Parts: sequence; C-alpha cells; structure tokens
Amino acid sequence: MSSWYKSWILLTGFILFYVAYLLFGAFVFSTIERPVEDKLKRDIQVLKEEFLNQSCVNATSLENFLERVLQANKYGVSILPNSSASSNWDLASSLFFANTLVTTVGYGHTTPLSDTGKAFSIFYALLGVPFTMLVLTACVQRLMHLVTYGPISMFRQKIGLDPLAATAVHFAILLLVVVLGFFVVPAVVFSYIEDTWSFLDAIYFCFITLCTIGLGDYVPGEKPGQNFRSLYKISVMVYLFVGLMMMYLVLRAFHRMADLHGLTSFFQLPHCDEDIEEDREPIIEAGHEDQHEVEASAKPLDPASQTSYNTINR
Amino acid sequence: MALLALAHFMYQMVGATIFQMLEKEAEDHNHFQLEKLHFLANCTCLDGLHMERFVQVIRDSSKVGLSLKGNQTMDSFWKFTSSAVFAATVVTTIGYGNMSPSTTAGQIFCVFFALFGIPLNMVVLNRVGKYMLAIERNACDFIQGKTNHRKLTRFMIHLLSYLSGTALFFVMPMVVFKQQEGWSYSQAIYYCFISLSTIGFGDYVADSNPDKYYPEWYSILMASWIFFGLAWLALVINHTGEILERLNTHLKHWWSPEEPSNAGPVDEVKEPPVDG
Repeated sequence: MSSWYKSWILLTGFILFYVAYLLFGAFVFSTIERPVEDKLKRDIQVLKEEFLNQSCVNATSLENFLERVLQANKYGVSILPNSSASSNWDLASSLFFANTLVTTVGYGHTTPLSDTGKAFSIFYALLGVPFTMLVLTACVQRLMHLVTYGPISMFRQKIGLDPLAATAVHFAILLLVVVLGFFVVPAVVFSYIEDTWSFLDAIYFCFITLCTIGLGDYVPGEKPGQNFRSLYKISVMVYLFVGLMMMYLVLRAFHRMADLHGLTSFFQLPHCDEDIEEDREPIIEAGHEDQHEVEASAKPLDPASQTSYNTINR
Repeated sequence: MALLALAHFMYQMVGATIFQMLEKEAEDHNHFQLEKLHFLANCTCLDGLHMERFVQVIRDSSKVGLSLKGNQTMDSFWKFTSSAVFAATVVTTIGYGNMSPSTTAGQIFCVFFALFGIPLNMVVLNRVGKYMLAIERNACDFIQGKTNHRKLTRFMIHLLSYLSGTALFFVMPMVVFKQQEGWSYSQAIYYCFISLSTIGFGDYVADSNPDKYYPEWYSILMASWIFFGLAWLALVINHTGEILERLNTHLKHWWSPEEPSNAGPVDEVKEPPVDG
C-alpha cells in the first residue's frame, strides 16, 4: 500500500474516532444531566404557579417581567439588592474581561452590550490572540531550557538513566509538579475564598479555565461584597497566564518525549520542529548542551518553530 | 523578552480602559431597578422579599440554561443532539457556557472528557489543515506548470484561498444566521468570529433558541462549519507564520547581504515536505 494511500486511511480513521468520541461524550452527558434538568424544570413550574396563585400579578405582566430579568441576567446585571453596588465594567473587571478575550477563555459572564463594544472586541481579539500566543511561546521557549534540558542531562549524568527512561521520569515529575501547583493548590485557595464553591468545583474551574474552554458557570470574584475585588481579579489573571504557560510547557515536553519514544512516527503525527534545525536528540547530548542553549536562545523568534495554539506543530 | 511581556500587559490595560469607556454607559443598573419598583408598585399584594427569592430562583435556573418564559413544552437542553454540540464545544475549547454540567458526576466526566478530547481535536484539526494546505500547494504547482509567473501565481493562489475561506466561513454563515436566528448582520458576524476564535462567550449561540424552529440540516451544518472553520483558521495561522518567516529572511538578506549562511538552514525548513 503506498504511503499516500495509507495516510488517507489514517486520516479517515482519526476522523471516525473523533466523531465516535464526540457521540460517546454526548451520550454520557445526556444520561447524567437530563434527569436533573427535568426535575429542576418541574420544580420551577410549580414555583411559578404558586407565585401566580398567591399574588395579584397577571400572567402577561409576569412574562414581561421575567423576560427583562432574564435578559439582564445574560449580561451580568442583576436586580437583586446587594449586587447593584459593584459594576461589571470597572477597571479591574474590564482588565479581566480583556484578558479572557485575548487568551480565548471567554467566560461570557460579562459580554459587550453596545455595538461599538462588540466591534471593538473583534478587532481587539484579532490582534490580541496571536499576540498572546506569541508571548506565551516566547516564554515557553525560554523556560524549556531551564525546566527540560537541565534536569534531563542531570538525570543522565548523575543517576545514569538511559535517554528514554530519563525523559519519561522527567515528564512524570513535571506533570506532578504542574498538577499540584496549578490545580490542587489554587483549588484550595479558591474554595476558601469563594464560599459557594466546594473543592471539587474549584478544581473543575481550574481545569476548564486552563484549557481555555471557559464555560463561565464558575467565575471567581463575582459574589457581591467581595473583599479586595480588584486585587483578587488581577491575581486570577496572573494565575491564568502563568497556568497557560505551564500547560503549553507540559504539552511541549510531552510532544518531545513522544517523539523520542517513537510514538509520533507510529501515529504519523508531526514531529517537533526544532529537531530539523538542531540535532536529532538535543536533550540527550550532554556535551552539546551549552552550544544548543546559546544558539536556541539567540535565535530570533521563528514563527515556524512555534506551537501555535490550535495546531501542535507543522 | 521582558519588553514583549510588558507590551502584552500594556495591550491589555489599553483594552480594559477602552472597554470600560464603551460599556459603562450601556450597563444600566438604575434602569432595571426602576422597572423592578414599577412592577412592585403595580402589584400591591406582592412583597419585596418574596419577589427577591423568586428572582434568585430565576437567576439560578437561567445559569443552568432553563428559561421560565412561556409554557414548558420546549425540548430539553440535554437531549442527545444538543449534548453532542456541548461535547463538541468542550473539545474545541470554545465553551459557550449556555449549558454546563450541573451535577458533580457531569463535571468530573467533563474534565476527563476534555483531557483526552482536546489533544485529539488538535491532532485531527492539524491533519485536516495540512490536507487543505496540500490541496492548495498542488493547485499552485499545477498552475505554475502552465504559466511562467511563479511568484504571481503563488500570490494569487494564496489570495484566492484566503478570500474563499473568508467567504465560506464568515460571510455565508453570517447570511444563514441572519435568516435562521433572526440576528442582525453585525451580531451574526460577531458570533462567527467569537466562535471560530474559540473564545465562545455564549451571549449568542446558534441552534439554541427555544422559540425558533430550525430545519433538520441546521445542526449538522453548524457542526461542519465549526469543524472546517477551525481547521481553516489553523491553516491561516500556519500560513501567516510561514509568510512572517519569509519576511524575516528577506529582511535579514536585505539588512546584511554579506552573510548568506544565515538564510541557509532556514531555507531548508521553509517548505517541510508534507507527509504523503
């Protein structure tokens, strides 16, 4: 079978698996969530009827009222008494919003209401998203040397592990550190600060945020009367940025490890770009370490060797 | 490096101040408070406390995506097709948020589902993007074989692919959404952009208005639009990277023409063989 043919079959296989994965997820979500939703629906209906019975409100004016309230809710405006104090668009919140826009997290708890705001968001994101990706990749490139090459050569020399084992051990430790430092610890902090969040909710929030999915069902700093609200929001921003960087780093390290172990060739996935310009196994050759570090950090930011966000590598 | 980080931070600060200026006026707390008082004044039997509780319930239910309006004969949010759409928005990291798992089991499953789904999605999109690129390259070579203007054909092909991509993934969906969802053109294009960039606010979501009737092909069309649109966007980003790199080498050539060795290794990388 020619390799061209083979790669088409592989692609079809990937796509079919992808579709099957989505359908599987759909089935599980549907089974878990639907009964809960049905029960909530019934409870709400009952509540509404009770409300109508007790009060002198007629059905149409209630419908109008509900429509307005729901619309306001969508934009983050609530008519409950204590939430009218803080605005959704003071400087810290706007900064938070700009950050979620530019990192593509996009919670949606506040969205631009005015038409100019919407148009501005489009152009702002058009420029800001690639800019963010550039900054993140630049940081990760420099961090890689610190976090990956150094420890691996140390493993090789001091402990005497062979290259494959060294990379695997290093990756496992890196993963553990990242999970502890960027999921568990922040989750503890969040569950302490936000009183309605449990620890599980907080970990769910950290995960959904750091993957830039950003559902928006949990957003920190939204409860009314939050102390030090601006400082809190800004530190969440910093957490988001650094966390994204670490996720990128882990992904990169995993990619290189998979490369070395031959997994990428097996699945015919793209190899790490840097291998083309440098040695085949840059993280293994202890002797060439310094030279590579100097070269790599002096190299101007090559767009070709970057991982852009939604492609692994070219 | 530090300069880059500083510039990035300044960019966000500038954005923040502009957003604040634009949005502060549109957000009108007082208006809603007046409405509420008006409503209360009309209905004398209603006391404030009871209504606050009612509104809290409305709020909580709208967070999980339920609407209290009208009769409750609307379809469940978590029926199979909409759960599939939700799974797709998780895996592509769009994450609208108009529906989100409210049970703990659902949340835990969501985390693991995304853990495997997101890399899978990135791999598939990457491959599809590469194939789109290969098609474009083949077309380029074919036409270059016919004419002699190498750079011109290349430029024209790139331009054509950019334009057709924009038309296919922005302009056409804009028209379809205006017709099916009843949004204005600007809202539709705002929605297209926010979805394809995977920001996914969720203030506008196609195929989820309970008051509208959608044709059967609508959700499939939406899903393919998102899939191919994302692949095309990945392609465009890669392309832009390529172009920037070429620009970089051209500038280096022009800046220091007596150092041809600089361009050497980069030239070899410029057109990596597409895995055939």
